[in-house]
Amino acid sequence: MTETVKTYGLTKRYGDVLSVSNLSMSVKEERIYGFLGPNGAGKSTTLKMLLDLARPTAGAIDIFGRRLSGRTRNEILKDIGSLIESPSFYGHLTGEENLRILQTVLDVPRENIEKVLSIVRLDKQRGKKVSAYSLGMKQRLGLAGALLSMPKLLILDEPTNGLDPAGIQEIRELIHSLPEKYGMTVIVSSHLLPEIDRLADDVGIIANGKMMYQGPLNSLHEMDHSKSLEEIFLDLTGKEQSL
Amino acid sequence: MIRLLKSEYLKTRRRFVFLTAIVMTLAMLAWTFHGSFKGDTLRLGWMLLLYQMPLANTVFMSLLSMIVASRLCDLEHRGAMVRKLASAIDKGKIYDAKLLYGLAVVLFAVVFSWAATIALGYYKGFWAPFPMKLYLFYLLFTAAPTVVIYILQHTLSICVKNQTVSFFTGALGAFGGMFALYLQNLPWLRRILIWGWYGALQFVGLWGWTKESRYADAYFEIMPFDWILFGVLIAAGAAIYILGRAWFKRKEF
Repeated sequence: MTETVKTYGLTKRYGDVLSVSNLSMSVKEERIYGFLGPNGAGKSTTLKMLLDLARPTAGAIDIFGRRLSGRTRNEILKDIGSLIESPSFYGHLTGEENLRILQTVLDVPRENIEKVLSIVRLDKQRGKKVSAYSLGMKQRLGLAGALLSMPKLLILDEPTNGLDPAGIQEIRELIHSLPEKYGMTVIVSSHLLPEIDRLADDVGIIANGKMMYQGPLNSLHEMDHSKSLEEIFLDLTGKEQSL
Repeated sequence: MIRLLKSEYLKTRRRFVFLTAIVMTLAMLAWTFHGSFKGDTLRLGWMLLLYQMPLANTVFMSLLSMIVASRLCDLEHRGAMVRKLASAIDKGKIYDAKLLYGLAVVLFAVVFSWAATIALGYYKGFWAPFPMKLYLFYLLFTAAPTVVIYILQHTLSICVKNQTVSFFTGALGAFGGMFALYLQNLPWLRRILIWGWYGALQFVGLWGWTKESRYADAYFEIMPFDWILFGVLIAAGAAIYILGRAWFKRKEF
């Protein structure tokens, strides 16, 4: 199976703090890759490096079989949709106006706005100013923005933050349908084990910036039948780390 | 780039950026034209404006540059949109598109104030022949420092999330520039401050003015254009642009 993302010894240091250490990540095409780790493990930093929002201190990244560099970044990034940390928006504009700006910048068909509004079920709130949106609605708008170009690779950092249980279920089903429906590869980060357990095909577990496990989720389940998945996760990440 | 400029226009809906530029320009014109023009001031009116306007520009155009740059960039920082854009398109293009859009706003204000100054001169009844050539040089020597100051303000506003930094730089610069114009015995001061360049490029001097006789014996003289300073200004603008763009491109989000 082709690898959409592959990193080699990816390292990121902020001053004296080693945020990501020698990380080798492998994300297969049209699969959902759950990127799991406690708070502060280095998930967001890693995802930012994949999007060239942060420069690696060492290591290299291949996306769609091409090395990510200053020369290739724009070509690579136009096929990636992302939602990093918190949703981005212009609060003084409506949801639809926000997507219209992204549609103009990304040079994608205007019909995509309708499509993604309907996918994230925000079509009835399209005319409302984003500053008046709830956190869950902002999260949906962020997701709509990430889907707008119908990218080949979707990178979602804690996409269910701020959503109510029904919203979480809805977004989970949506993410689940993306590889089959649109041929997308999805990387979803979360610090919530049950979330990834229900969603991912493959999983990468990171703790203190280091990859502790990477492979199919099923194999993780089978590592130790006497232990629950939560216990296996805690063994890998260290019990002192929060979930 | 056209797409990015269009997106800049879409972003500024309900932000009243052009209206802000018009209001600031009208305030500058009100400051310049307040009081009554009569007698000698009507005779000397066109030259008097060329003498006085650089001071008004130092304050109003500098503050306008600070306000416009801050309003345009703050909306990217507030909702973390700058991160979203940087993850999708070339960071240099983000810097350029926003710079071009902001420059269009401040240059519109420069041209609007120039045209309105001439219109108000005729309205007030200035009867000496209108010195078009000098007014075109005045336009050039107003637009050029405005462009350089705007590039600096834009760089600070887009690279530093906290807009207080850009605000204080702009406000201190504007008042420092104004202060430098009042210090006639320290002409170098206005040459080293980019906000002082409106005054440093001033080419009309006033002689014979006293408190008692005021403009009765006063006359204006055209001084040589300071093309060396103009060259320095162009070079400074280019340097700030190159360094500012590189700074933004290196930024992590």
